[in-house]
Amino acid sequence: MTDTSPPPPEQQASSVLAQMAPPEDSKDTGRFATLIGRFAPWLAAIGRLTRHQVRFTLLLIGAGWGTLRESLRPNSWRRPVIYEFRATLRQVIGGGFLSIVITATLAGLMVVSQAAYWLGYAGMAQMTGSILVSVLVREISPILVGIILMGRSGMLSLTEIGMMVLGGEVRGLQARGIDPFLALVMPRTFAFTVGGFTLGMIFAVVSLLMGFVVAHASGAITSSVWTFFFNVLAAMTTWDYLIIPLKFVLVGFFVGLGACISGLTVSSNDTMATIMPRGFARGIMLVLVVNILFMLDF
Amino acid sequence: MAANAPLLELRDAVPSFDESGLMPAPYNLRIMPGECAVIDCRDFERAAMFADLCTGMIPLTQGSIKFMGLDWSTLHDRQLNALRGRIGRISRHGSWLSLFGTHLNIMLPHLYHTTDPFENVVHRATELGHTFGFPGLPITAPDRLSGADLARAACVRAFMGRPDLLILEDISDMLPEETVLPFFETMTAARDRGCGVLWFVRSSAAWHEYRKAVNIHMRLLDEGLFSLRVV
Repeated sequence: MTDTSPPPPEQQASSVLAQMAPPEDSKDTGRFATLIGRFAPWLAAIGRLTRHQVRFTLLLIGAGWGTLRESLRPNSWRRPVIYEFRATLRQVIGGGFLSIVITATLAGLMVVSQAAYWLGYAGMAQMTGSILVSVLVREISPILVGIILMGRSGMLSLTEIGMMVLGGEVRGLQARGIDPFLALVMPRTFAFTVGGFTLGMIFAVVSLLMGFVVAHASGAITSSVWTFFFNVLAAMTTWDYLIIPLKFVLVGFFVGLGACISGLTVSSNDTMATIMPRGFARGIMLVLVVNILFMLDF
Repeated sequence: MAANAPLLELRDAVPSFDESGLMPAPYNLRIMPGECAVIDCRDFERAAMFADLCTGMIPLTQGSIKFMGLDWSTLHDRQLNALRGRIGRISRHGSWLSLFGTHLNIMLPHLYHTTDPFENVVHRATELGHTFGFPGLPITAPDRLSGADLARAACVRAFMGRPDLLILEDISDMLPEETVLPFFETMTAARDRGCGVLWFVRSSAAWHEYRKAVNIHMRLLDEGLFSLRVV
């Protein structure tokens, strides 16, 4: 009985290449095909790895576009969706408020007082406003807000949705005609977006205020609080008025979306021990990527 | 949907084995409006998978499944979801979200699929709650309710909002005895207005008292779906 099973892919590739090549080049072609055959498994492994790594990015882009598009349809904002939006917004802002105030206070103490002190020492006190806007409000705030947002609320969403997928509740929703994307991902993402902006603004104001209080008490700043805030606002360019809120909004959007998508795409092999570290790493990466993109362009 | 068209029709439907674990055999079933089909199945998971198959959640490799004259495989997501909103379902597993109270879990499909005023939805749910032995609507989280209360709540949710098809997994082991009669009455009332019923049972004890009103009796086995004589 003859063996009719197909040859392995490397052999197929080499035989096809050998057939296609002209006779005079057959020796070179054969060598080339052997070389490809030898490296094919490595190339396949690299391809698999690349696809695996890029999968989340592609999912994020697709889900981001889907979220924006669906949110524009009035039909998408049904009562359970609005309920979920409100509940998540309460959780995001209520849960993150205290952490934001404490972190902003600490950041203000460090950055504002230090900046005021050293700039005054160097005779560049008039630069205080612009340095604070550049360093504290535009660069540090979105990163810290993003990290707090992710730690306080993003991981919660990730775990909730992930456990719902593993427990079959998401399938149960689908069986009742409730789209999990509309019911869970879209409202939560927008709640994170609004929450990111709100907490970001709170962070900026509190950090500047607390920094001023300490610097004023230590004598590094002698002007009034109004003059201090006026100097900060005067140091902001038109772009800053656009970029700073946009950073907060985008950080919130991507942290929320990333957490929800990570939760929704867990597999049956996943456990809490695999879901949480992956979600955390993705969240940190998203916060940094948003900030780096803005840093490159502006 | 045509007047005399079947409500649910499986015509040589062969489910994808990879996604369901159901045997890739051709399944045939036809339920007309107002009919009740009882399906004997000892395995809860297989019954749940077959219920999923009937609601278009499992891809087919062959054949077709139509609900209200519409083929599940030809519909888009929004249409699929809207159509599934016409089905009242009792599931044994994975049907309660711990994010919400039980009252919201009960009303969630109705609030999602309709624009009925909230007060009316609450009123209807409370009425049904009374029918199934609740003093009102349970507002605690589902994971804090007993099995019996969850079974009652599952009945309330399934019968909410005048469904066109009821897919009932067997909860007879959890349903309190005093709730069995209201369950039959509510099911009969639904059938009287044209709702079809697909009822999975594990033993004849679950449907013994209702047997005279049953139109179709089948058995779901590993090998497929087999017709039995209605007693």
